[in-house]
Amino acid sequence: MIARSGTIKDTKGLLSTLPTLHLDVPDYLFVATDNARCPKSEIYVKEGDHIYLGQVIGMRDGGFFKQPIHASCSGTVEGYEEHYHRSGKKVRFLRLHNDHMDEWDPAIKPRTEEEIKKLTRKDFAEILEKTAMVGLGGSSFPTYVKFNNDKKIDVILINAIECEPYITADIRLMNEEMERIVRGIQYLQIAFECKKALICIKKKHGTLCRVYDEYLRRYPDSGISVCRVDNFYPQGWEIAMIKSALGIDVPSGHLPSEYGIANFNVSTVWGIYEAVKLNRPVIERRVSVTGDGVRYPSNFIVRIGTPLKTLLERCGGYAHPEKDKLFILGGPMMGASLPSDDCIITKTVTSVLAFDYEEKKEAPCIRCGSCVYSCPTGLEPKQIMDAVKAFDKERIKALSPLRCIECGLCSYVCTSHIRVTDYIRRAKMFAKIK
Amino acid sequence: MTIVKQTSPHIHRKDSLARMLIDVLVSLAPVSITALIVYGLAAFRNLMVSVATMSLCEFVFVLIMNRIPYDGTKHTLKEQFLHGVKEYRLYHLLGSLVSGVIFALIMPAATNPGYMIYIALILGAAFGMIIGKLVFGGLGQNIFNPAAVGMVFAKLCFGSKYVYATNDYVNGVSAGGTALSNLGNTSASLVGRYLEINDVATLDLFLGRVPGVIGEGFKFAILIGLIYLLIRRAADYRVVCSYLLGYTALMALAGIFVCVKVPEVNFGRFLLFQLLSGGVLFGATYMFTDPVTMPINAPGRVLYGLLGAGLTVIIRLFAALPEGVVFSLLLCNLAAPAIDHYAYSSNKFTWKKIAVMGGIFLIFVLGICFGLGFQEGVVR
Repeated sequence: MIARSGTIKDTKGLLSTLPTLHLDVPDYLFVATDNARCPKSEIYVKEGDHIYLGQVIGMRDGGFFKQPIHASCSGTVEGYEEHYHRSGKKVRFLRLHNDHMDEWDPAIKPRTEEEIKKLTRKDFAEILEKTAMVGLGGSSFPTYVKFNNDKKIDVILINAIECEPYITADIRLMNEEMERIVRGIQYLQIAFECKKALICIKKKHGTLCRVYDEYLRRYPDSGISVCRVDNFYPQGWEIAMIKSALGIDVPSGHLPSEYGIANFNVSTVWGIYEAVKLNRPVIERRVSVTGDGVRYPSNFIVRIGTPLKTLLERCGGYAHPEKDKLFILGGPMMGASLPSDDCIITKTVTSVLAFDYEEKKEAPCIRCGSCVYSCPTGLEPKQIMDAVKAFDKERIKALSPLRCIECGLCSYVCTSHIRVTDYIRRAKMFAKIK
Repeated sequence: MTIVKQTSPHIHRKDSLARMLIDVLVSLAPVSITALIVYGLAAFRNLMVSVATMSLCEFVFVLIMNRIPYDGTKHTLKEQFLHGVKEYRLYHLLGSLVSGVIFALIMPAATNPGYMIYIALILGAAFGMIIGKLVFGGLGQNIFNPAAVGMVFAKLCFGSKYVYATNDYVNGVSAGGTALSNLGNTSASLVGRYLEINDVATLDLFLGRVPGVIGEGFKFAILIGLIYLLIRRAADYRVVCSYLLGYTALMALAGIFVCVKVPEVNFGRFLLFQLLSGGVLFGATYMFTDPVTMPINAPGRVLYGLLGAGLTVIIRLFAALPEGVVFSLLLCNLAAPAIDHYAYSSNKFTWKKIAVMGGIFLIFVLGICFGLGFQEGVVR
């Protein structure tokens, strides 16, 4: 088929209408000491120490930023264990024994609305740095960095697009936590001193759009409105979102803030509400557990640090235990696959997918051009693939593979089932070498 | 149960190479069936011989390419054979079937000494497959369209022995020169060359009641195939559109010259004749749309179609060969890697690229103006 694949078959299905389940907090929780972005860490507690919920128990060092580590339960520290992190690497986790009391750290006190109104952008950055807010949409980029500048912001975009198929966690969050999301957006408006805020929702989620239209009537003059964006993939990519919401073309290599735009994922907004109003770090998040390998796909509110196996047990285990499985944390287009189900849910895990694995043999490329037509950044994946095969560095650099956002569309559309995205990743490595 | 690790993305569009090749075969079915009904055994022989030759070549190629790697021990021929057969997949067979059917359809129904057609078919198919496709590395690697290479080879070697059969659905098959053969006679004046057009009924051209190779006459069947290909997206509409539109525009220009100089020629009939005669429609449907041999991005494909259209027009109007589609296709195949050069290729239509396309179109326009403008019309 020689065609651009704009939309990906939506497999969200009925899951987006099922209410989110509260997963019981397990007896043992695991807190990552270091992760993909932060190679170094320092732990302040030792074995046998009593900890409170939300207490700072360590500090991660990510080079240009520092990130405190918070305990996600009250109880005692029980030493270290190695588990898989969402990036697919084995990292050291701190094991916490949960006493099921959920005693908050006494230092954490909620703020009143008057206090919040007086906060400046700098204060926001400080709060978010202390509560270790990161992009909860999956980027795990520290949020406070977005507040640490004084560029004039004209419009705040809220990314509620969730363009990856299968994942429904954000849609459920939008349905169930309306007030917190709108309040979170109002806090952002205070921080950026900006009147206009747009909640970007895909056109095909018509009910959700209408629900928000109706709900926002209760906040007249708030400046918040719903923006219906197109259904194509990768609409959730910030540059595509800005393009279809505002019509502004942000060239690659530039930040949206240079154009007066601040964009946040909807679950990050929810996290910002928790951080600013309640002064709490993120201790639980919504995770979709789905895919054809799971018996009862569901959405859960999960305490950070819960092992993946607990989630799978709650879903009724595997649908076909005899078949080979593919484990993906994140969406099926961009998520990383895990070599084991021994993984811990961290702050940035949006979903867990378990698929029955079927091997597909690659056929030779027939230059149909679907990858070239589909690439959202206007690259030519087939040409880059040829250059990588020929180890032609000059040609690779001329084709500028560094613009690639690894959305995976080129592999998705490939008629010959070639894993084109892998070649582009290799090309990116080549291009980075001087 | 084991857990498999793989890189993203983990889902795939419902699509496969075999599906695309089967689509092309299905789109070839109307033409092939019409040819089988009209030409009977001759068409059957053409299809069988060329498909068998091409499939055999590809099969042997797969066996040669997939030998057991050297590991110090001797392997029997049987082991080698079985190892190679494992690597022979459905798309290998389908790929050679597509090339074989197209090649069979662009060969004539008979030759003057009757046995010559077998030689032409076998040698043409083998040459097209080996030199046109396999020496470059097989499916997906070829620069030239294998069917076109084979056709040109057969035509250059055995062209003088060809007998173009015609069929009028009533009296059966009879032989004669193609509708275009008189047009190829460059020594004749414009009058002599183009007055012939008035003798050919447009409906006959559309239904294939004119002499020619066995597949290209049945325009209705080709149109069905073209629509199927475009609906199934097995062909790129950009090439088809730019080729047919460019061809029509340039031929319209030529038609104006011819009609001014030879008033007896009707402009509409001239245009329809040029569109419906020969292999223009067949080439645009099945040969120019071969994705392997065309450029990879959208502007490149539009340019490819325009280039093909211009070359077809020039060859038809001025060259000694009456039939220009296959030759222009091969020339365009040669140009495709240059169009794809990394220094300027991208999927965006920039003003620069549009200017280049316009420039190339203008060259063809000037070529037609100079070529036809100075030719003698009717001397009264």
